Amino acid sequence: MPYAETMTSRERVMNALAGLPVDRPPVSNPTNVATVELMDMVDAPFPDACRNPELNAQLAATGYTELGFDSIQPYFTIIQESSALGCEMQWEQKDNWPTVRMSNPIWKGEDDVKIPADFLEHRDMKSVTGAIEILKKQFGDEVAIIGKSMGPWTLAYHVFGVETFLLMTIDDPDMTMRILDKLKVATYLFADAQIAAGADAICVPDHATGDLVSGEYYKRFLQDIHTEMAERIDAPLILHICGQTLDRMPYIAQTGMAAFHFDSRNDPQAAMDAVDGGIGLVGNINNPETLYSRGPAEVRKEVYACLEAGVQMIAPECAIPLQTKLQNLLAIPDAVKDWSAERL
Amino acid sequence: MPIVHEGLAREFEYVTREDEREMILEQIEAGDALMQEMAYSLITGNHHAVDELTKQALGEGREANDVLDEGLISGMAVVGVKFRDNIIFVPEVLIAARAMKAGMAHIDPILSASGVEPIGTAVFGTVKGDLHDIGKNLCIMMMRGAGFVVHDLGVDTKPDEFMEAADDNGADLVMMSALLTTTMPNMGRTIIEFEDMGLRDEYKFMTGGAPVTQEFADDMGADGYADNAITCVEKAKELIAMLRAASAE
Repeated sequence: MPYAETMTSRERVMNALAGLPVDRPPVSNPTNVATVELMDMVDAPFPDACRNPELNAQLAATGYTELGFDSIQPYFTIIQESSALGCEMQWEQKDNWPTVRMSNPIWKGEDDVKIPADFLEHRDMKSVTGAIEILKKQFGDEVAIIGKSMGPWTLAYHVFGVETFLLMTIDDPDMTMRILDKLKVATYLFADAQIAAGADAICVPDHATGDLVSGEYYKRFLQDIHTEMAERIDAPLILHICGQTLDRMPYIAQTGMAAFHFDSRNDPQAAMDAVDGGIGLVGNINNPETLYSRGPAEVRKEVYACLEAGVQMIAPECAIPLQTKLQNLLAIPDAVKDWSAERL
Repeated sequence: MPIVHEGLAREFEYVTREDEREMILEQIEAGDALMQEMAYSLITGNHHAVDELTKQALGEGREANDVLDEGLISGMAVVGVKFRDNIIFVPEVLIAARAMKAGMAHIDPILSASGVEPIGTAVFGTVKGDLHDIGKNLCIMMMRGAGFVVHDLGVDTKPDEFMEAADDNGADLVMMSALLTTTMPNMGRTIIEFEDMGLRDEYKFMTGGAPVTQEFADDMGADGYADNAITCVEKAKELIAMLRAASAE
């Protein structure tokens, strides 16, 4: 029987996250697909698009309307909560990612960790929840809207500085745990607010990457917290961790989260073997070499490798370089559809 | 002196490549029991002990260069191998680096005052848009320990800042680090700006950072790439040798 699309984009994504059958694998980027070309197309440049709900929604929608992905991600960066917590920010211009000035951390120890009472009212939080409301009205159940809420490990990098926080994990692991427990409240608050605004699923970036810490570190400091998040947050969760993560995938697979968004430094088949059916996978087209520097043929090859391995949702490995060519992004859904026509 | 410190002997077993065993063993064996204690304390991140042992070693009349090579660099070399081989990760490297810094606080002033000619001069920064600096800082520490003069340009370094610093300091090497796949392309853009100003051939360019690969470094037009702080020093020495050979022709 020839392949035919019988699902809306939203149904496709939600089924994939629930481990249910799909008409074809969805294309999605739980982190984001904003580029300078897309910003110009809808006149919604960075940094304004990160701070204004209307511009945010305009730019986010292009992931669906222009690229043909099955999901929309209206939180482009990883810094909205950190801005609301009071971190020193560098908002940059259109062609650069906004970022937190981690060399000027705002907190020193656990007594400093306080989530402001008006945390969700901060303009950089409202920018995301407001955009989700706009997008939900605009698209209804047509396309999946994936929110994003930073995990406590990533927030700790921002508020303490990466080096200080990593030293703390060795100097005082008990205090580190107490700090993570306090910071996870921010994750819950923002996730709940986005779900109330209309988000269908939540991506939780929590960068305990193999480039920095061991798989045992993940197990020791984060596995229980992520398990609690999967139970506590009322939507499918997609964990995102950059870098090499094969050694922690078996632990991640036990958290009860719906999916894990993984980096291109992990072979798709090896990743599928590592999670062993315990969690869905989202990924993992290489950003700097393939999407940024190569062409559609190379993109297609990587998409096929993921699909052949059984990766459930196809996506760039992480937030893409802002100068990524649209033709390379368009090649992702094209390749998924071609593969589905050949194999399904 | 052969390795007599039991802890150091255990740590040394993590070094399995023959060439590395030979190189590190030579450094360790050039020293005495105090140097072995210092190397072990550095590997295990005991900065208080390294601080005390360095003071003691210098106080007993050892040469600063010998303490650096036999006590600190030999320990850091083991740390580098363990990090590269995924036996330890960044937190463990950071505590070792903190220990190295404690020792260097006593050694640096002596070396600076001695007027020894540096191996080479580098300017080193994290590229525009990227505020991560752990990898850069580790590389700088190792390079300084190896005898380079390194000017730390910090994070979020724009191409014109690399250019100005390279010119002001008479640099041989322009070294760029990035942690984010979103900022890695700024390495290539920096090199292009040097090209546009006709300055590409004045310097050798090195790149590194967690997501950076040799292939990406080649694509960006870099002369060198290193995937950790130890190979960073080796590659930097190679590039300096190439520069010196070219200028001798």
